[in-house]
Amino acid sequence: MVENSKAVASCGEALVKLLEAYGVDTVFGIPGVHTLELYRGLPSSNVRHVLTRHEQGAGFMADGYARVSGKPGVAFVITGPGLTNISTAIGQAYSDSIPMLVISSVNETNTLGKGWGRLHETKNQRAITEPLTAFSATAYRAEDIPDLIARAFAVFNSERPRPVHLEIPMDVLASPVAYDWSNELRIARSRPQAEPKLISAAADLLKASKRPVIIAGGGALDAAESLLAIAEKLTAPVFTTVAGKGIVSPQHELHGGANLCMSPAWDYLEQADLVLAIGTELADTDMWRDTLPIKGDIIRIDIDARKLNDLYPAKIGILADAMGAAHQLNQAIDSLETKPSVVADVANLKNGILQEQAELQQKHLAVLACVKNHLPAEGFIATDMTQISYTGNYGFESEGTRSWLHPTGFGTLGYGLPAGIGAKIAAPERAGLVLAGDGGFLYTLQELATAVEEIHTPFVVLLWNNDSLGQIRDDMIAMDIPTVGVSPVNPNYTMLAKAFSCQTYKPQSLDELESCLEEAFKYMGVSFIEMHDSSVDIAQ
Amino acid sequence: MATCGEILVKLMEAYGIECAFGIPGTHTIELYRGLPQTNIRHVTPRHEQGAGFMADGYARLTGKPAACMTVSGPGALNIATAMGQALQDSVPMLVISADNNTFEKGLGEGRLHETRNLQAAMAECSVWSHTLARADELPKVMARAFAIFNSERPGPVHISMPLNVTTSNADHVPMDLWAIPSRPAAAPAQLQQAADLLNESQRPVIALGGGAADAAEWVRALAEKLDAPVSLTHNAKGILPVDHSLHVDTSPSYQPVRDLYLDADVVLGIGTEFSESDYDFFFNGEFALGGKLIRIDIDATQLTRNVRPDIAIRADAQLATEALLPLINESRRNGSQRTAQVKELLAPLNHPGYQAFLDAFQVALPGAAVIGDSTQPAYFGAAQYHAPAPRRFASAATGYGTLGYALPAAFGAKLAKPDLPVISLIGDGGLQFTINELSTAIEAKISVAVVVWNNERYEMIAQNFVDAGMEPIACDIYTPNFLKIAEGYGCPAHRAESIEHLIELLRQAQKVDVPTIIEVREQDFIQA
Repeated sequence: MVENSKAVASCGEALVKLLEAYGVDTVFGIPGVHTLELYRGLPSSNVRHVLTRHEQGAGFMADGYARVSGKPGVAFVITGPGLTNISTAIGQAYSDSIPMLVISSVNETNTLGKGWGRLHETKNQRAITEPLTAFSATAYRAEDIPDLIARAFAVFNSERPRPVHLEIPMDVLASPVAYDWSNELRIARSRPQAEPKLISAAADLLKASKRPVIIAGGGALDAAESLLAIAEKLTAPVFTTVAGKGIVSPQHELHGGANLCMSPAWDYLEQADLVLAIGTELADTDMWRDTLPIKGDIIRIDIDARKLNDLYPAKIGILADAMGAAHQLNQAIDSLETKPSVVADVANLKNGILQEQAELQQKHLAVLACVKNHLPAEGFIATDMTQISYTGNYGFESEGTRSWLHPTGFGTLGYGLPAGIGAKIAAPERAGLVLAGDGGFLYTLQELATAVEEIHTPFVVLLWNNDSLGQIRDDMIAMDIPTVGVSPVNPNYTMLAKAFSCQTYKPQSLDELESCLEEAFKYMGVSFIEMHDSSVDIAQ
Repeated sequence: MATCGEILVKLMEAYGIECAFGIPGTHTIELYRGLPQTNIRHVTPRHEQGAGFMADGYARLTGKPAACMTVSGPGALNIATAMGQALQDSVPMLVISADNNTFEKGLGEGRLHETRNLQAAMAECSVWSHTLARADELPKVMARAFAIFNSERPGPVHISMPLNVTTSNADHVPMDLWAIPSRPAAAPAQLQQAADLLNESQRPVIALGGGAADAAEWVRALAEKLDAPVSLTHNAKGILPVDHSLHVDTSPSYQPVRDLYLDADVVLGIGTEFSESDYDFFFNGEFALGGKLIRIDIDATQLTRNVRPDIAIRADAQLATEALLPLINESRRNGSQRTAQVKELLAPLNHPGYQAFLDAFQVALPGAAVIGDSTQPAYFGAAQYHAPAPRRFASAATGYGTLGYALPAAFGAKLAKPDLPVISLIGDGGLQFTINELSTAIEAKISVAVVVWNNERYEMIAQNFVDAGMEPIACDIYTPNFLKIAEGYGCPAHRAESIEHLIELLRQAQKVDVPTIIEVREQDFIQA
């Protein structure tokens, strides 16, 4: 045992205690010379440290952790390369409004901006993370930290959640604290509530509408109950974005699904006389077109004021937390007569979407159906940027919220595996599946080492192998551009997974996939299933 | 119609870009339209960080930039770490990234790959970052990029290409290249002052950095005329022949070298930062000079950093050294004896296990380039590895200190010099950062001997923990089976059992057109 004789807590030690007081139970990271002082206090805390194999993995894991738990994911990274390595994951979290706290070191205060060529030196780290975060700050004194952490949690709890970056110079990290602030909680938990006048105006519009539609995004995950009640009272179908999947049960007759990218849904929206959009950006990454053909009025409810009048100017724009506003709105609406024709239209719409699927998408749906058959209740799926995920974004019906993780806005390759690991660490009792393509998987495959080291309950990596960057290849062909760099020479994925001590499967048919999934979800550890697109025969 | 994307690749070719690294994406498709009509070789890495490190390795061996092409958002941020390493080590690199349409920028509408201000982030990792507003400006923008690569302190240049600009008509854009600016020569008066000081000196010492890599011939002549010992940084290795009697080829962080500097009455620093990662490797802040200092640097502000010069000459290293040479009177100053004394004091500090290991590289493959990562033997290599020529050794342990550099950088190096044997020296922790790039090398038929130093832990960090009075945390890591991984990628893979075996395997690796993984277990080579 190394003797630690320091009587006064250092800034780094106090910070770990403070994080623990804020409810942080896990940090993802890789220690380095610059962050030693952050690690000093870890062993005496209850905070679990998950060692990743690349800092981008730490970021995506923190993201997956946050998506499943609703709590901020926390990462510790070193100055310079550690921070730039995690920056892509910060960008992804920013795009998808995921709470994430990235704590990095930075060179000693007196060296900042000097360009002396110190180890890991960067011109200005905060300038890198500033465009990717709600805010990025430097703690110039140990005593600044309780303020800055309080501000970070105010972002996570009370505004549109987004990543926060806090950098701490090495000299500050190592400095003794002037007083003990390690338990100094300043929690702002209140979220903005809707203005009552606007709620009643919105209720009046909804009651008067003939054919209303509800669109719910990732911001409305906690408003599911009230939204469903509103939908039932109005007989309004609910469409969700990909981030909003699971807000309405797929068995419900008003479940429109995450089908906003499908033309039958566009047709339906075109006929709507009123759209209630709640907790959604209505961004084109969910629509696969620039804007939706909405002809009727729009009521928007969003915690971010800037979202109320951008691409889709609102007739009524309500700045509020989705859960509170949906609750108020529900109370302001009485049950109306049900409209059986709407229910029939929704069923037709969903059937229509199934009918218009091309052969490739039918293959995807066949594989996803196998997954659905075997994914245990409460299971989650973390997806990468791959064609089968794009199909699943609308075609896979999630039973609950926080069950389908997808890097929608930023669109990062390599997200799926580490995000799935982070999700699994947040919810070890839930079975987890990662859905990745052959191109995206290679971005972050080193995190299989983290997975086998940390995960001892069912966790399945399903690799969809078509030996190409399929989407880009198809785009190039469509645009008459030579297919450069899209048909890679691939490794033997199953052998790689074996080298990482995973249990591996290589099914040759959909039937075999069924039995592999069944076994894999019983295995207490990491399974790897490689499914080649040529092994999927939908003519069967 | 020629689009702006098409003339961009034409201009790249006209400026001598031979190699482009990129992963095509929705946002960069239009950059690929014109590529097959050029002679530029395109290599597809498996992660954009790999693109950056490959371009870095390419530039270290040649002094010439390669290009990287990335999508906006994640693609651009993925390459940021490699740009950070290149910036810290003054390595030229052209990074082209896509960006969202000009008219969408800053609106925050949640577009695919949207970043609030990509250029703000990339600017911190570049010498210059620019967002192209119109096709008309492209020739000027490229001229400026190549002015930076050729005529200033080099580093990465980032050009952001909004989608609508990339696809815009560029038929009217003149394609005549702008003249490349000259490099700065030394001011004659200062050069004379420097010569006077040196001519009067009794115990001069020359300190070389990576900026002097292309001035080898003149530096050597200068050292011999002055009879001055020559000390080098990582990036200066190989400027003097290995066995030259004035060659103090070890890290200036070691005490005997520091004493040499302290004892010198005049130090001539050429193209060196005098920075921490070379001169204060052990972070004790004790590097000091006892006499006068003359500094020659192409970067004016660098002359104001770290150590105070008495004479500061802003000039290109080669032009300045060449001009200084005739002003120096040849004189004997016990240079060889002073060098020999330092070497004698260094001998007991050199680790015999690492020495034998590092010596094996040139024994096996004379003239080979070695690309090191942040790993134990590469750290020891700063002191104990001797490069056969300039631009034949690089290590990520300097400057930015990135893990995972050495694998892709070695691939880039081999692409730059296909006839030269290239060795990647990387640890088990570092290799896991970028192991995906083995696929790139298989595909592009790149033959590199990858020596994996396996101690199944982050050894350096573990030592740092102990030194800081802590139990190591998260240092003893689950390590996959590298030999099987290599096999999975389709690479030959072996474990070296001895120095002789290592030599044999290094030679054998030259006979295949793919990387060979050579695992070296620390305990087999280093006595505990």
